[in-house]
Amino acid sequence: MSKVLTIVRKEYLERVRSKSFLIGTLLGPALMSMFVVLPVLLSSAGSENARTVGVIDADGSVLPRLEAELADQGRDNVTLVPFAAEPGRGQDAEARLRGAVASGEVDAGLVIVPDFIATGKATFLNRSVSAMVMRDEVFRPALDRILREGRFAAAAIPDSMFSYLSRGTAWESFTVSEEGVQEKQNEEAVFIAAIALIMIIYIMVLMYGNHTLTAVIEEKSSRMVELLLASVSPGNLMLGKVLGIGLAGLTQFGVWAVAFLAMSQQGVSVGGFSLDVNFLTPVVLVSFVMFFLLGFFLYATLYAGIGAMCNSVQDSQQFHGPLTMGLVLPMMLLSLVLRAPDSTVSTVLSLVPLFSPVLMFMRVCVETPPLWQIALSWVLLGASIWLAARAAGKLFRMGILMYGASPTWASLMKVLRD
Amino acid sequence: MFPVADDLPPVGSPLLELHGVSKAYGAKQAVRDVTLRIPRGSIYGFLGPNGAGKTTTIRGIMRIVLPDSGEITMAGRPLDRRSLDAIGYLPEERGLYRKMKCREQLAYLAELKGVPHREALARADAWLDRMDLGDYRDKRVDSLSKGMQQKIQFSATFIHEPVLVILDEVFSGLDPLNIELLRGMILEQQQRGVTVLFSTHMLAEAEKICDSICLIEDGRVILDGSLDRVRADFPLRSVRVAWADGAAPPDDLPGVVARERSEGAWRLTLAEGADPQALLPALSAAGRLTLFAANRPSLSEIFLAAVQRHRQEVSA
Repeated sequence: MSKVLTIVRKEYLERVRSKSFLIGTLLGPALMSMFVVLPVLLSSAGSENARTVGVIDADGSVLPRLEAELADQGRDNVTLVPFAAEPGRGQDAEARLRGAVASGEVDAGLVIVPDFIATGKATFLNRSVSAMVMRDEVFRPALDRILREGRFAAAAIPDSMFSYLSRGTAWESFTVSEEGVQEKQNEEAVFIAAIALIMIIYIMVLMYGNHTLTAVIEEKSSRMVELLLASVSPGNLMLGKVLGIGLAGLTQFGVWAVAFLAMSQQGVSVGGFSLDVNFLTPVVLVSFVMFFLLGFFLYATLYAGIGAMCNSVQDSQQFHGPLTMGLVLPMMLLSLVLRAPDSTVSTVLSLVPLFSPVLMFMRVCVETPPLWQIALSWVLLGASIWLAARAAGKLFRMGILMYGASPTWASLMKVLRD
Repeated sequence: MFPVADDLPPVGSPLLELHGVSKAYGAKQAVRDVTLRIPRGSIYGFLGPNGAGKTTTIRGIMRIVLPDSGEITMAGRPLDRRSLDAIGYLPEERGLYRKMKCREQLAYLAELKGVPHREALARADAWLDRMDLGDYRDKRVDSLSKGMQQKIQFSATFIHEPVLVILDEVFSGLDPLNIELLRGMILEQQQRGVTVLFSTHMLAEAEKICDSICLIEDGRVILDGSLDRVRADFPLRSVRVAWADGAAPPDDLPGVVARERSEGAWRLTLAEGADPQALLPALSAAGRLTLFAANRPSLSEIFLAAVQRHRQEVSA
């Protein structure tokens, strides 16, 4: 056992002391937040763009209300330019507006027919599809409201009645657990938080899984394999490497988590995402830690096993795909499980060790499954890790005799059957 | 650490024993029914041509490949993983972590053999000093020359003070200075009661330091024992002769079965039972003799003869 610790310490220190670890730890959050922040920044910057819209309002009653409505919504980046219809030459105004849109003088055109309140008809002219977003986000709600107001006014319904009639459903949502406690929950926040946690599991597993692969291949390229196996059993060697590299990954993740929590405490929302604390029940927290660790070590061990078979990173490519599928598949099955978390299909899928870090954890987040199922998935994951470590050790031992030869699926299966 | 010094058999009795060890890779039988006794305190040469099964046997001892059958014991007990800590191993396929510092690397390898952390660091320092590499303590291995890296590998083999050292094809790829250095280290270890088992296909090199040998061919042991006894079993003799005028030996020498020019003289191989003394008159008649020496059989002669004898036995 002390030898495993010796290997763990060496692998851990080697990584934590390296420059790339420091750079990765510092740049990681910057890169990750870029993925989240950049699109938000870009889209908000886009909406800040000043837009001019030419408007033909035949009877002149809608335009002032539309301007008031836009001001209410804070759409001060949209400027309305009236295209006055000269008497008797209504067609001509529309042609001018069309020309203005086409030439880029205005970004879009809006034609409101004279009896708008009765017919509800409006025409939108745009040069590119992108202006459609403006129609749906800006003008549709504004005109709908003007239309409703106008029709209620025409029916002589008082203002007090208007606000009553236009009010929609007022939802209040509770999650009822077996303890009978009712928690007010924000479903959207729960969903986003769950997806975020799953993405963390997913990214860490992929990143550090690859590290173990290259680290194992390094033993071969440095021709240390035989010397090491004369000192430790292949299984312990694999265990030590996976643990050491894993701990380095967890250290990095720990630094990020602490930084994230500290920033959240300061009220800084990181990448527009702040954690809903109510959502982090003990079950969810414990599950996250367990699925994170178990998933992490299962995949790291499997990657190590692939590394054990291969003499170069190129060799390992062919085995890479199927293993990555093991991670991608549950992401694709996620919506299936979300729709029916307690169906037989979901239960079975979420118990498959390769999938459970994602699928079982998602079930825990959306609708806590029976505890025995969670426990069973942990047991299955643990057993898989043990099996995978043994298999990796076996492959490592056999891999020595395969210097030079590229491994094939057939030879892989043969070694495992022996 | 196992086995402790008083667990060991007395010098000269078997320390490492192999009983009927066999190993096949698929259809190829690499090692067949190998039985060996390696006496404590000996320098044991494990000899044979490339592909004879030497490395497979050694890997079997080190549990890197697991034999299909047979038993391996050390100091009378089955060799398990724990007792491997008492063995120093320098494989043919050897390397170092290129990016690791020399001192850390040595200490790490010592720790993997069960030496405690602090002790391992102290010993690493001592070995680096001994190898004149003290200045490279905190340098990365890849900044060292190949010869220096070999010195680090030697150090790693001995740093945990093993009772048995196994060196696989150790002389190949070494520069002459390091061959001399390693030979010195092997003899020094022997003085301290350490048993050294080394394999090589370079028989001349083995002959210089071995006291016991085993010859292996095609996975089978065809000869083993102390060098003296092996030589006694092969009374194959040859004489070295030379004449002042560089004359060639006459054609019809009694009892001579082969002749060969070597190192400015002639090597005459005698038939079994022939008396070198009887040759002398005929040789003197051929000219003025400047050299006449009876040679002990060289290891390569013994090896060739043993292979021939073995093949005759198999076909008979």
